[in-house]
Amino acid sequence: MQILHKTNLEALERARMLGSDGVLSLLEGKGLVGRGGASSPTAKKWRECRDTPADERFVVCNANEGEPGSFKDKLIIRHNAETLIEGILIAAYIVGAKRCFIYLRGEYDHLRPRLQEQIADVLPRANLEGVSIEIVRGAGAYICDEATALLKSIMGFRGTPMYRPPNPTTEGLWGRPTLVGNVETLACAAQAVLFDDWDANLRLFSLSGNIKNAGVYEFPLGVKMSSVIDVARPQRKLKAMSFGCFGGIMPVDENMSITPEAVCKGNCKQGNYSIIFIDETNNVVDISYSIAKFYTYESCGKCTPCREGTIRILNLLKKIRSGKGVKSDLQLLRELATHVQETSLCNLGQTCGNHVLTSLEHFPEDYEAYLAKKK
Amino acid sequence: MRRRSERMRIKLNEKEIEADGSKSLLNICRENGITVPTLCYHASLFPEARCRVCLVEMNGKLVTSCSTKPSEGASIVTNSERVVKARKLNMELMMPESSCKREEDLEVCEIYDEVGMGKPRFPQIKEYKPDLGAAVIRDDNKCINCGRCVRVCADVQGVFAIDFASRGHNEHITPYEEKHLADVACIRCGQCILNCPVGAISERSHVEEVVAALNDKKKHVVAQVAPSIRAALGELFGMPAGTLVTGKTVAALRRCGFAKVFDVDLGADITVMEEACELLWRFENGRVLPMITTCCPGWILMMEFFYHDLIGNMSTCKSPHEMLGMLAKTYYAKKAGIDPKDMIVVSIMPCTAKKFESTRPEMKSGVDYVLTTRELGRLIKMKNVDFASLPDEDFDPVLGVSTGAGVIFGATGGVMEAALRTAHKLATGKELENIEFSEIRGMKGIKEGSINLNGKEIRFACAHGGANARKLIEQKDKYHFIEIMACPGGCIGGGGQPIYRDPDVLRKRTEAIYAADRSSTLRRSHENPVVKKIYEEMLGEPLSKKAEELLHTHYVKRSRF
Repeated sequence: MQILHKTNLEALERARMLGSDGVLSLLEGKGLVGRGGASSPTAKKWRECRDTPADERFVVCNANEGEPGSFKDKLIIRHNAETLIEGILIAAYIVGAKRCFIYLRGEYDHLRPRLQEQIADVLPRANLEGVSIEIVRGAGAYICDEATALLKSIMGFRGTPMYRPPNPTTEGLWGRPTLVGNVETLACAAQAVLFDDWDANLRLFSLSGNIKNAGVYEFPLGVKMSSVIDVARPQRKLKAMSFGCFGGIMPVDENMSITPEAVCKGNCKQGNYSIIFIDETNNVVDISYSIAKFYTYESCGKCTPCREGTIRILNLLKKIRSGKGVKSDLQLLRELATHVQETSLCNLGQTCGNHVLTSLEHFPEDYEAYLAKKK
Repeated sequence: MRRRSERMRIKLNEKEIEADGSKSLLNICRENGITVPTLCYHASLFPEARCRVCLVEMNGKLVTSCSTKPSEGASIVTNSERVVKARKLNMELMMPESSCKREEDLEVCEIYDEVGMGKPRFPQIKEYKPDLGAAVIRDDNKCINCGRCVRVCADVQGVFAIDFASRGHNEHITPYEEKHLADVACIRCGQCILNCPVGAISERSHVEEVVAALNDKKKHVVAQVAPSIRAALGELFGMPAGTLVTGKTVAALRRCGFAKVFDVDLGADITVMEEACELLWRFENGRVLPMITTCCPGWILMMEFFYHDLIGNMSTCKSPHEMLGMLAKTYYAKKAGIDPKDMIVVSIMPCTAKKFESTRPEMKSGVDYVLTTRELGRLIKMKNVDFASLPDEDFDPVLGVSTGAGVIFGATGGVMEAALRTAHKLATGKELENIEFSEIRGMKGIKEGSINLNGKEIRFACAHGGANARKLIEQKDKYHFIEIMACPGGCIGGGGQPIYRDPDVLRKRTEAIYAADRSSTLRRSHENPVVKKIYEEMLGEPLSKKAEELLHTHYVKRSRF
């Protein structure tokens, strides 16, 4: 796997040689994009952070991998923490930050000693004056994946998102420009700087669900679904796949090649390529119900549509599953899900209706089955 | 931080206009005469965009107008079907059934029509026990989580008594560790009440108790009216902000059945005498300085919770209405031949913290009940008194003659200004020529100045709003005399005053207060004939043993947790 190649502080050395402009144009040329899900060009973000006038800047590594079905960051921290740390240091060197943070997911606390060891090992050898890396442990909130909520949590506040603009790159921690990068992005940055044959097309896929070989795999963009399924080895015929919780549920088409555009055609979002496979023994409404439960629990409660909408969606799905649903409930479900998506403040709210909308679109027969079971 | 301030062309509801790109869409809409409904937005608070009711469409995307700034050439639509539907659905999701009642004077009712709110569509999920405090009551079942109370408590007042807890639909606003407000470091200022759009927070009402006392033939019930009431009560009866209704207030109280109506301004005049003497005494005897005023019970609580090392700096004077309450039960009771036990003193105050103050054991209070301005409005309506058509009447002269110095206690800087007018006379024997201290008037957070008394410079400063108070306390050693009012604007912006949405209301009320001062024939507390009489007949002189016993108090250290 490319992501496991170690850079041994040579990337930082190379970055020093190239200078910050050189590194940025190198990353631009190699086409490194954010791996957290939004796929925005990394160099642009770094440049914006670097060029905002301020007395202090920060780099934050977002290791709060909360998306259900995603566990690629865990792999990187476990097996290639030194490259990740080097990526953080390169980012700090380029934007001119002294204090760096790794916001580690609360459930990954067992990885902390290892990460701490690696920091203690790499940092003194890096020869960057005054640069420190602190590990901040999350308290298990999914919302702290969202950059503004994450920063609030680091500052000691309740982890709730803020509207943008201002983006963290211009106004983040304590009002200073702050670069927030995903674990995979930062590790990739180090590799992209060092390796001339670095392939920007490779992505980490977290596969899970009704399959034998759950785990993290590396595939190039545009890989055929059939080859992913060959690796995953489902036991029964696959019916649907869910992109994490937020991306939506769509039917499995063996001939499709996995690109953001193709996924978008099914009204889903590929995000960070965490795919949960669902086989034919499942009713998609049940899956949707589980996801709704997750969002009801994880909504931070700040803005109205997400706070109140998620619980109403959950209650409607509960009603439908209990056989008391009526046809008009589906209409209300669609109305609520669209409304929550359109009017919520942050990414969580703006995506938390996806599973309802896409399952209604692709699997209406599953809903009908529950409606027909009327008690 | 980069802020765009250049003018830009935008399209607002199909109309091309020029707008300031550094302003929010909401303000641009309002400047152009377009009403956009809001709930979690308040002009004096930082916008958080929680409620999502102020939605508009910008370039085909729904955005919250309170937190969004326009981009060059943006097209903004405020009344499309999509916008109207989304606003309405958010209201329906947000409003618990128990808050859907159309109560008068609630801000949320004003926007019901603007969003087209009908009957509630979703069943209520919330179930909370109401928090029945001694001064401020919270009912979480009505709460819509707009967070204005949290923001005003933290950002404006610097108290941090309440915050959000839990996540998702369980999110609710609560004091520290889910305790009752009465058990945490809450200063009872009531600013949260003024900011609550749905009436989920309110004062602990004493209207029923007062009505019962009024109906009791054996009781002699007297009312005493605070300076700032006269500049605000009219608003509850449809009068514009800043209308002075002194005479009507007195008449209304008589119609409600109060035997006598006294003026707390007189209490203020006595406070000035005591406080000015205390200041000069401290100054001459090298005692702890700066001396800090103690007219504001919210500030007293703040000091006791957060700054109890300042207890030695606090003046020992009771607040004006406590002084007058005491005099009513001693001086007036003796004159009128009434047993103080049969007398009920009701203070009409702009303040919820006064409700707490009158129950303090250290206070040995003469005041039995405190009604806020809003409660008085309710009482007047309950007694079917037509307020607007009442004639002007005068206070009962036995404790009802006052000066302009007493009136300005209602505004920030007023206590200090009044005290300086008298201190100058007491220290130098000469009257001050220019008695208007413009440097400590107005809505600036912290104001300062200095005065020369017998060749000694006395530096003074005043702050209003808890957050400003915190800033002033940081640099207290620069001054000899400090006035602090917990509420923005002083008592005219108190937590018991009529609810306002436009910060300009405070300015208008302040102007009314100063206008009342200017039109007074007596403008210095030591000129007040009743004050002179009370000292002659009962107290002797300021800071005498008798005055000490009746008019002074002490403070206690309180734990924050």
